[in-house]
Amino acid sequence: MSHSDIIFAPIFLPLLGSALVFCGKSFFKGRKAKLIEYSAVFIGLGLPWIVLFYLLPFILSGTTIQLVIGNWFGGVGIIYRFDGLAWLVIFLGFLIASAAWIYTLGAGPRGLGFNAIFLIQTAALAATAMTADLFNLFVCLEILGITSYVLIASSEKPGAFLASFSYLMISATAMVFFLVGLLGLYRLTGTLSYEGIAAGLKILPGEGGITAIVSLSLIVAAIAMRVAVMPLYGWLPDAHALAPHAISAVLSGVLIKTPLFALTRILIILPGGIEAGRLMGYAGAATALVGVIIALAQKDTKRLLAYHSISQIGYIVSAWGAAVTAGLSTPAGLTLMTAAFLHAMYHALFKGLLFLTIGTTTDLAGERDVYKLRGAAIILYRGGEKFPVTLLCFLVGALAIMAIPPLNGYASKAALSYAFKGSWQASVLFAAGIGTTASFIKLSRIYWPQKKINQSSPKTGTIPGKVSGSVQISQIFLAIMCIASGIFASRISLIVKKLLSNGIIDTNRVPPNLFSIQNLEKTAITVTAGIVLFLIVSTGSGKKILSLIRNRPRNFQGLFLSFSLGMFGLTLWMIYKS
Amino acid sequence: MIEQILLIILFLIGFWGIIAKKNIIKKIFALSILNSSVLILYITEGSKIGTNAPIMEEGVKNVVDPVPQALMLTAIVIGVCITALALAIAFRLYRYTHTLDIDKIHRKLHDEPF
Repeated sequence: MSHSDIIFAPIFLPLLGSALVFCGKSFFKGRKAKLIEYSAVFIGLGLPWIVLFYLLPFILSGTTIQLVIGNWFGGVGIIYRFDGLAWLVIFLGFLIASAAWIYTLGAGPRGLGFNAIFLIQTAALAATAMTADLFNLFVCLEILGITSYVLIASSEKPGAFLASFSYLMISATAMVFFLVGLLGLYRLTGTLSYEGIAAGLKILPGEGGITAIVSLSLIVAAIAMRVAVMPLYGWLPDAHALAPHAISAVLSGVLIKTPLFALTRILIILPGGIEAGRLMGYAGAATALVGVIIALAQKDTKRLLAYHSISQIGYIVSAWGAAVTAGLSTPAGLTLMTAAFLHAMYHALFKGLLFLTIGTTTDLAGERDVYKLRGAAIILYRGGEKFPVTLLCFLVGALAIMAIPPLNGYASKAALSYAFKGSWQASVLFAAGIGTTASFIKLSRIYWPQKKINQSSPKTGTIPGKVSGSVQISQIFLAIMCIASGIFASRISLIVKKLLSNGIIDTNRVPPNLFSIQNLEKTAITVTAGIVLFLIVSTGSGKKILSLIRNRPRNFQGLFLSFSLGMFGLTLWMIYKS
Repeated sequence: MIEQILLIILFLIGFWGIIAKKNIIKKIFALSILNSSVLILYITEGSKIGTNAPIMEEGVKNVVDPVPQALMLTAIVIGVCITALALAIAFRLYRYTHTLDIDKIHRKLHDEPF
């Protein structure tokens, strides 16, 4: 046990917490069991914050802590690395998980099973961010997967079970391909750590040849499925739309991004990784645009948000892919990576907020259809919110995703367009921004008052339940984080950049001038075009096109077809490029 | 060579079963078959060198590579977890829809997703 073993705390504390949750339930009853349950969650989600802030100065000064679990010698044991990237991902994970857990106090799901699984998921998030061992990455991804299948199904909706089942089957199959790829690399190099594999491949003739390339592409395809990049996104909308609201926030906010940033470690050192990153970047740009088009067509509120997650992850992946292509040590690559992480972080904040507020609203109204639900502001008022907290928080989230200054979405989208500097990706993302604006105007309409007030609607008569305090607290917390991170965006971009570059002092902010006339003009154009687009799709023929997109055939086989095609395409691309 | 061909056949049977079988229980079986084919692949590949089980005792020589076996122990545990969870979900789906056919489940839940 040495001093630097403290880096394992973000993994072991949540695991300890989940064990305590079970112990509390087994040995005590009533008040005592509740007390132990809450203190276990505090150990799991609260104490790691102290560790994270204790470690921050070391990481900021450029220290990278690398440890082998169980003090095995390097070639055998599992290597964990705690650097700036790991710190940022773990910080994000605990931030969203804490806010979501507070939300569950008021709106459910509750209980021992939920708390234990939720803590295990948080531990797996931290482990995924830190691991530098390919088989351990497999185990971490499987734990993330298994916990999310359970949590998605915990909303007890029949559709959620189907979504969970589809997700389980596609992701378990993808992980089998991951194992095959892992075997290929292990056979070539005889080791499982990233550095060991990279070093082993370097001394092989032709860097391992076709076996190494195919193996790497199988691994990348399996992880890309988890990230939900374009051809591999089919499982996400149902899973995120039907999960409990707090879980949707965690899944969309953190869970789809963690594998992406874990993949960075592999791609930047293995031969051929750059090409895989390049293709994923292209796919990401396409994802941003296609995702938003499908999102605009949705009529279920939470499914609309889920498609927006796909679209926004497209923004992140396109910048991330360009960063991997350029190399993280170059200034351009570092800027792109900073922009990608900033957008990942800000997206987690505002998308979490949107899922929570929309969840609160639709639960109270008992209606999730964008076209049917109206007057939600009044429903919230009758649900006991004398001050419209949920409505205001929703507005903060919606304006943030529409990139209105000074909210955080504006800062990260400005950072992305600065990092891309007029390449074709910038135009694609700009077009996606217009769609985002239009679809959030569409979503905001649920709060508009009804046209006829004395319209006989059975839903407005009875309001089931109330908006509870903890729901409001977590919403306000995320809304404040959205505003604060927007206002201090330049300073945050410097910190993120410093962490990602492992302590190199670089005073160029991303973007250098946040509130420049050019950026503001761009925002104005996006908003105007978004309103126009909204008016176009509100017409009769626009609605017809949208319903065609919405009712496009989707089935179980399609998931596997797109996964196979995506994997095959990636393999061909990498063989062609090598 | 013959074992590789057999394993590829086993792998393809699993993959085909997941996609083509309508019954969700059969899909879960197929997932198990797919998983097992990769497990056996690891073990056969790991046993290319050496002949004896990797138990480090006096006099045991010429052992096989122990790492694939260690990895597969973990993978078996994960596979069992996934199968158990999938069966539990299949049971719940059956209770809601009274069918095990994936297309019928899709249709029934598509009409009233919430």
